[in-house]
Amino acid sequence: MSDTDGAGSGSSPPLVVLEHVTKRFPGVVANDDVSLELRAGEVHALIGENGAGKSTLMRVLYGMYPADEGRFLIRGEEVKIHSPRDAIARGIGMVHQHFVLVDPFTVAENVVLGDEGGLVLDEDGSEQKVRDLADAYGFQIDPHAVVEDLSVGEEQRVEILKALYRGVDILILDEPTAVLTPAESSDLFENLRRLRADGKSIVFISHKLDEVLEIADRITVLRRGVVVGETTPAETSKAKLAEMMVGRPVLFRLEKPQVEIGEAVLRLEDLVGGRLHQLSLEVRAGEIVGVAGVEGNGQRDLADAIMGLQPLDGGHVILEGRDLASQTTAEIRNAGVGFVPEDRHEQGLVLGMTIWENSVLGRQDDAPFVKRGVLSLRTIKELAKKLVKLFDVRARSIDVTAGALSGGNQQKLILARELETDPKLLLAAQPTRGLDVGAIEFVWREILDQKAAGRGVLLISAELDEIYALSDRILTLYEGRITGEYPPDAPPEDVGRGMLGDVAMQGTG
Amino acid sequence: MATTVAAPPAAGGVTRSRPEWLERAVGQGLALLLAVVIALALGSVIIILYGENPIDVYETILRSATTAKDGPAWVLAAATPLIFSALAVSICFKGGLFNIGVEGQYLVAMTTAAWAALHLGGVLPGPLLMWGVLLFGMLGGMAYAAVPGALKVKTGAHEVVTTIMMNGIAVSLVAYALNHPLRYTNAPVGQNVDLRTNIFPANAKVPDLGHVFGFGPAPRFSWLFPIAVVAALIVWFIVKRMRLGYEARAVGASAGSAQAGGISIGSVQMKLFLISGALAGLVGMQQILVNNASTSTGGYLPQNYEATLGFTGIAVAFLGQNNPIGIVFAAIFWAALSRGESILPIETNMPREFVIILQGILIMSVVITYTLAKRRLDRRQTGRVIAEEEAIEMQQPEPPPTIQEVTA
Amino acid sequence: MSKLGFAVSIAFTYFTIIYLTGIGGLFSERSGIVNIGLEGLMIIGTVTGSFGAYYFGAKLGWGVPAGPIMGLLLGMACGAAFASIHALATVTFKIDHIVSGVVINLVAVGLARFLSTIFFGQATQSDPGQPHLHVISIPLLSKIPQFGVAFQGLSPFVLFPFLIVFPVWWVLNRTRWGLRLRSAGENPEATRAVGVAVAPLRWEAVLLSGAFAGLSGAFLSVEIVNNWREGQTLGLGFIALAALILSNWNPVRLMGAAFLFGFAQAIPLALRDWPIIRSIPEQFVNMTPYVVTIVVLAGFIGKVRPPAAAGKAYEGTTT
Repeated sequence: MSDTDGAGSGSSPPLVVLEHVTKRFPGVVANDDVSLELRAGEVHALIGENGAGKSTLMRVLYGMYPADEGRFLIRGEEVKIHSPRDAIARGIGMVHQHFVLVDPFTVAENVVLGDEGGLVLDEDGSEQKVRDLADAYGFQIDPHAVVEDLSVGEEQRVEILKALYRGVDILILDEPTAVLTPAESSDLFENLRRLRADGKSIVFISHKLDEVLEIADRITVLRRGVVVGETTPAETSKAKLAEMMVGRPVLFRLEKPQVEIGEAVLRLEDLVGGRLHQLSLEVRAGEIVGVAGVEGNGQRDLADAIMGLQPLDGGHVILEGRDLASQTTAEIRNAGVGFVPEDRHEQGLVLGMTIWENSVLGRQDDAPFVKRGVLSLRTIKELAKKLVKLFDVRARSIDVTAGALSGGNQQKLILARELETDPKLLLAAQPTRGLDVGAIEFVWREILDQKAAGRGVLLISAELDEIYALSDRILTLYEGRITGEYPPDAPPEDVGRGMLGDVAMQGTG
Repeated sequence: MATTVAAPPAAGGVTRSRPEWLERAVGQGLALLLAVVIALALGSVIIILYGENPIDVYETILRSATTAKDGPAWVLAAATPLIFSALAVSICFKGGLFNIGVEGQYLVAMTTAAWAALHLGGVLPGPLLMWGVLLFGMLGGMAYAAVPGALKVKTGAHEVVTTIMMNGIAVSLVAYALNHPLRYTNAPVGQNVDLRTNIFPANAKVPDLGHVFGFGPAPRFSWLFPIAVVAALIVWFIVKRMRLGYEARAVGASAGSAQAGGISIGSVQMKLFLISGALAGLVGMQQILVNNASTSTGGYLPQNYEATLGFTGIAVAFLGQNNPIGIVFAAIFWAALSRGESILPIETNMPREFVIILQGILIMSVVITYTLAKRRLDRRQTGRVIAEEEAIEMQQPEPPPTIQEVTA
Repeated sequence: MSKLGFAVSIAFTYFTIIYLTGIGGLFSERSGIVNIGLEGLMIIGTVTGSFGAYYFGAKLGWGVPAGPIMGLLLGMACGAAFASIHALATVTFKIDHIVSGVVINLVAVGLARFLSTIFFGQATQSDPGQPHLHVISIPLLSKIPQFGVAFQGLSPFVLFPFLIVFPVWWVLNRTRWGLRLRSAGENPEATRAVGVAVAPLRWEAVLLSGAFAGLSGAFLSVEIVNNWREGQTLGLGFIALAALILSNWNPVRLMGAAFLFGFAQAIPLALRDWPIIRSIPEQFVNMTPYVVTIVVLAGFIGKVRPPAAAGKAYEGTTT
């Protein structure tokens, strides 16, 4: 592999230099005296766990936040970057983790927005320019297509084209593969190699160590805002990188408790509705079923359908033999389902309310918390204190607003609340998204404890690491149906194919 | 968001001494004070342009509400319908709903109350008639509010526009009632026939309370004022201590999370509209059920009913920061300002409309400062929580990993 | 038939009001700022427009109808000025859009009274004798037998919506400013990410909404009623919102929607004696515009697609 064969490191002067950059937010130092060099014709990976400061650093470079200290040099000359416009003018472009595209606009409109070339729009001219640019780099994309209709991989190409259209030399990609299938990631890497050959300097922010080792020429590791190491793929390994990222040896696999698997707790039969097309699966007592899939294939619809938040056009949701059709969400919860939603702000907590008020959410109909329509504050607050203590939610009092808690603590609160009801089935969707390793470990343990207690767990996740670490059986979700079933030691390529719908309707052995 | 090392708090102390609710209360109180000061300051600019002294003008307004004859009675009586109106608006607002239709709801309520007063005298003897009339007023308001409520729940039609349309319809409904079923049939022979209802029986009316305090009957200070205060306490209880209030606040703050928590959004919204309508129904009761010595007699529904109390109620609700207790004080404050309207042009150069402008500036200033203050308080709380989280982490050593490392 | 024609002519005038106010709301909402304060902005337009007509009525000569034109311009300018409060609240301070709109409506009523005492010496109406533009009749169309009444006796300003519909569409869809405006309303993050500042666009849109609504109000008081009177806006600002929803925020479709609602206004005024309508008590006929609005809202809410970011506070920095 000639991946490390870019312009020889050390032979070309750095294109961009960050010197002693510090960035503070209220309560945290996101970047602490960071120095970094980016060179032309190179892929430079920036890795670290969630909250290490990698995105922040690049956003400072891109002019989205002002640096509190430090300076930037581009081609040896010191510059001040006050806004993305400045950054772009100096040849720096950024593709964010969450795409910022205007859905109802066409690809061409999205690419030229902000650089339209005149007061009056030239639709045909723009489309031609975009077509030419795409061809030059071998990108497959139709400039006339509306962004709403594109696949995630295509959307990412539009984002990259946006940067190339403005003639950037430095391209920053923030977690680019988080939303791609393995095949799409491959395509992306092809494109990146072409860009590198063209002399571009690419910054690849990621926490996926396998990919980093595959594509990067140099790797810089951040931990808690500080640079803890700089290396190349040849000189390091996944374990070493992980250790640098976290500061202590990191687990990749937890010990799974041995539990006898019982009867089916949840059975889904041919669910149809929203993005779901004939989806069927089963979760048995004492078992963790992991549903793996790239975002956008029906994960949200699946969770919502089980919880009664989305109407179904067909199919059955059966909990311990009872058909949950046309039950309200409250009734479903009462039947013994706990729900850790993928979006803790939109479906999990009421951010404006205090911790104790959030503790009783989902049980506001039940005695002893409510008697004849009146809340029993004492009982509720006792519950809250119990939850906070058991799950180590870090806050000085239960009167604190939920919105003030960190992501990890918010997730712990939700988990505590749901598990306290002793559910027969725990539905956990993307339960560790945005959490740091300490919190991830905590959540994983709790999920395994559920298994140990003989409950059923349906885990929906886009992180294959998580799926592998926890699941007794792995299912793949693609376009609203289950496309494959795999044992927990199946090779990732097989699971990857299932995630692409690339298989017949049965798993490999 | 990065959870990284921050400098540990000095002297090893972890917590500050003030509880959260006190922090909030102080912050909001200061914001309100600031808003009032800004409004008075901007008002002073206008006063100076008129060539008057701001101190004189404000003093005149204050005097009209306090030491002038019947001032306090007038103020409390004027505040009464505003309290009902603001409570109606605010209870919906807690659930994220904008009930701009209090106007229409109380017009319909006045009509249904009038009907009850004129037709239920036989069924409800003595003091029962008054309660019956009040009840019919509330029912009328509820029924009328149920329409935009149902539309919102079933079709998602935005209540701002539907309630305003309902206001327009209500005007016509009252006109119809005054022209037909409830028209004035007992006019003395030969007299010009006004557009109004007959006079209600005496026991339908709400007794005057002013005489107890030595006020004259002119300001219409009646038992409705204490009823309004009780209503405020009831609304406070519902919002803070009852499940419905909890569900409403959850829906208003985060409908998705509320729904995922098993709360039925449509059911909560409908209940809020109904309660709001009932409160709105009481807004007009003072006009028709309390005697007023200065305008011939009370006790009937006139053509020239007062029709701006719904919108003023919104202003008072904002001024009271949507808090029932705050609303009572805000209503009194607002009424006190309004009292100044009649005296100002007499004693100063200012037109009476200056008060309206002052009130307008006050609402804008309160809305803006309150929102900005809330945001700032939230940010500071987040900062405190994060700092303390860090401190706790520093004090507790990290647990050793109990899980074995697996080679990559 | 001539009754119908008469109704249509009334419909034209209300159509103009609703369309202009609606266009204002359209710009604002497509940029992402919900503006329910259109009624209040119209009110400001009515009182200042009336004042402009009086004040300039006697001045300037050369046969130029200075009064009415200055009234319209003044109403437009004051509407824009008043809308700056909404812009400041929603764009700069990120106050909830609906709350700010409600405040605008509240304050406008009081402010109008205040201005009225300054302009006219009385709080709720202006003096008689306000000048207005000469009415015209549309050539050819007004010669149609019976129905031709629809095109007679109209204020020339009624043609204004027809003049601006294409330019508005063109600006929105074929210029750089329009693309950026729509982008701010659909996805302000994306707009900022390419270095285009969202706040100035939204300010411009909100000021425009004030200008159009103010112009519309001035048209009402200067041309239609020839007088300023408190409450003369009749909820038309809210009806314009309903028309906007019905038109799916499209300036061309807004024409049809505005005419529909304009016609609903005309029914109680011109078609009272028609069969069926004759037998309904007059107060119920008066409710027509409001009922029509509610029916439209209830029926069409699910079928339209507002700009995706409308109403959501953009939490980015203020550029």
